[in-house]
Amino acid sequence: MELDELKSQLLQKLDEVPTTKSELDIGGMLKKNTQSVICKLKKSLWIEIICCIIFIASFAFVGLFSKHWSLRVYFSTFTIVCLIFLLVLYYLLTRIRQLSNTSLPIKNNLQLIHSIIKEYVKRSFQFTMALIPICMIYSFWLGYKDPSDEIHFTEGFLSRHLSSPQKVYLFLGVYMVLLTIGVYYFTKWYLKKLYGNYLQQLQTCINELEE
Amino acid sequence: MPNEQEFIQLLNKHQNIIHKVCSIYMDTTADREDLFQEVTLQAWKAYPSFRGDAKFSTWLYRVALNTAITFFRKEKKQVPTFSTEIFPDTTDYHNPIEEQVKAMYKAIGDLSKIDKALVMLYLEDYNYNIIGEMLGISPNNVAVKLNRIKVKLKENTQKHYQFS
Repeated sequence: MELDELKSQLLQKLDEVPTTKSELDIGGMLKKNTQSVICKLKKSLWIEIICCIIFIASFAFVGLFSKHWSLRVYFSTFTIVCLIFLLVLYYLLTRIRQLSNTSLPIKNNLQLIHSIIKEYVKRSFQFTMALIPICMIYSFWLGYKDPSDEIHFTEGFLSRHLSSPQKVYLFLGVYMVLLTIGVYYFTKWYLKKLYGNYLQQLQTCINELEE
Repeated sequence: MPNEQEFIQLLNKHQNIIHKVCSIYMDTTADREDLFQEVTLQAWKAYPSFRGDAKFSTWLYRVALNTAITFFRKEKKQVPTFSTEIFPDTTDYHNPIEEQVKAMYKAIGDLSKIDKALVMLYLEDYNYNIIGEMLGISPNNVAVKLNRIKVKLKENTQKHYQFS
């Protein structure tokens, strides 16, 4: 039983279409939304772009109008950081748009989708992880340097529960380490859950074509 | 702006290509319907890039296979691809050719997504150059892969045939 021996029978069987679609059915399908991973990625990118714009507007507002010097500097800096991230998101969105409007050979298509998703996952992870120490150190430093003495919340909390400066530093150190570990594993798990399996399956197909 | 009516007519004329790809790649009617929908949409989005230098059928095959290969569902219990609509249960009589085709079809269902694409294009009598162009690999590579697939299919068909 060779493939060539059964070729015509197989093709004949495959040609027996169970239900034929009418032109009206096909026309109706063009109005629906796609379920592809690329489309889902496009949607998440749009959501992130919208969130980024909201953050930029809010951060810029606080950066311009806050009474505290430290808050002004902190939020102005993160307005710029968000603007850079917005450009990265827009660049990825443009690449995805170009991809969905072309019909490339299968291998190139797989490689392109794989590289876009991999880049997205990598950048999201880097961005999240980089923000933790930057935010922490930057906010502590700004809080320490702020000439105004109106921000009492942290000081009050720490002095009520931690009597010596060593205890305060220990508390902050442990807090930073735990937060970093938590965010590290959560981000890894979240991105793997969203795109990890898909990336792996794409890689398997690419490897198979490269064999 | 692409002509929607022209596209619908072309797709309607060549819809059997999408049906074939859906039958090979999906197990259930619902999944096949979803994939059909997805291929139609992807073809519509990519239609402006169709310049007519290739046949519409070849272009549609490329779009359909690209969509089917990159169309991943949430992990379900893996059932080999086997369409009961294509092979209804015929217990009243025993037709050896029918049984062999059925066994071969089951064996094709066990192949990887890439191998299924190769078999599909081979069944449609595309030459190695066109298959290579569609997949993005060399014609020699196509020949090597097809030989491997044929050996694999022969073994697996035998197993399925004995089992049935």
